[in-house]
Amino acid sequence: MYAIIVYDVGVERVSKICSFLRCFLSWVQNSVFEGELTESQLMRIKEGIKEIIDKNNDSVRIYIMRSKDVFKMELIGIEKADTGPFI
Amino acid sequence: MKKNFYILRNGKLIRKGNTIYFIYEKSEEKVFSAEIDGEEMEVETEDISDKQEYEKRVLPIEQISSLFIYGRVSLTSGVISFLSKNNIPVHFFGYYGNYESTLMPKEMLLSGEMHIKQAMHYISQDKRVFIAKRFVEGSAQNILRNLEYYQREGKDLQEEISYITNASFSIENCKDVSQLLALEGAIRSKYYSSFNKILKSFEFDERTRQPPENPLNAMISFGNSLLYATVIKQIYHTQLDQTISFLHEPSERRFSLALDISEIFKPLLVDRIIFKLVNKDIIGEDHFVKELNSCLLNNKGKEIFLREYDEKLQTTIKHRDLGRNVSYERLIYLECLKLCKHFLGIKDYKPFVIWW
Repeated sequence: MYAIIVYDVGVERVSKICSFLRCFLSWVQNSVFEGELTESQLMRIKEGIKEIIDKNNDSVRIYIMRSKDVFKMELIGIEKADTGPFI
Repeated sequence: MKKNFYILRNGKLIRKGNTIYFIYEKSEEKVFSAEIDGEEMEVETEDISDKQEYEKRVLPIEQISSLFIYGRVSLTSGVISFLSKNNIPVHFFGYYGNYESTLMPKEMLLSGEMHIKQAMHYISQDKRVFIAKRFVEGSAQNILRNLEYYQREGKDLQEEISYITNASFSIENCKDVSQLLALEGAIRSKYYSSFNKILKSFEFDERTRQPPENPLNAMISFGNSLLYATVIKQIYHTQLDQTISFLHEPSERRFSLALDISEIFKPLLVDRIIFKLVNKDIIGEDHFVKELNSCLLNNKGKEIFLREYDEKLQTTIKHRDLGRNVSYERLIYLECLKLCKHFLGIKDYKPFVIWW
């Protein structure tokens, strides 16, 4: 499945959640990650996020799609990060 | 689905925040180091990932299936152990795009039974020749599929097709491996001689290696070494022993089983990519560097080829027996499983032949 994760968390937890998500997905913008995931990876992400955030103040949204082909992404402005497999 | 990452730049891999960062200098273009024996890079102990003069790329550890390294990259033991823990093989390629080595995580699928069975199939002459025949047969059939495709496209390949069809009938008559190898060589050289008819541009006279002498040879060598690394990775995920091979002689310091298996997939992956790149004018003379007696893909050329190759590996087809979509990379894995079944006496090995 393809997932887009956006988060709005307290300043002191921003870098924590960012470096946690970096292990699984590619960074595309500030507070936005996306990429291909398996069922088990998604479960591990959810558990990990629960441990980091403060449930009363923070908010993390996960958009889950069947694959990258089911939606169309339009970009205005610049691409912030290169996510391709060629470095 | 995990991805292969291809590193073309020079730089270093570091472990940070439980994932892998690739750090390279900002100004540097995607270049392949001109030095063949790269000078030692200075060991930097401080954290350079946040410095302004360096560009960084975060590789999500969970997404990496394997790393293909074409640039000069330094790795620390920390990164190596981290990659090994996550079962990620790292393939290294030399300046000429040749396969150099693979950094393998420790063997995780061990099986004494499989090992012994595989060796027994090598020792017994009959059993060994049986498997070797299947490899040659698979290779010949897939070559024929390619030729038949271009025959339908209106190229006159009747001579080559009938030659190879006849040759594949005589596979069964071969008594030992050296005869098979000779036959396989004859099929290949006939096949290569048809390249001039299939391709719109580029002349192909004969297969030359180490170093390749013309653009086509450069592409074939580059593609074959990539395929070789891919097969090694798939064998790694099974219980097969990399070093015991059947068609090629098992020799020291080589993963020779991968040579056998890649024989079957060369027409499907490497050759078809070359046909496409040349006939659609995606690759041209300016993507090669010609030196004395040698011809190599340049940076741009390598990137084009790698892009095409990566796309090809991920292309899926509906598998007839499994009834679900399978990627080309997965097909190689399934081929290894078929060999396992053969060794264990569950089902006789039949080589993969393109059915679409």
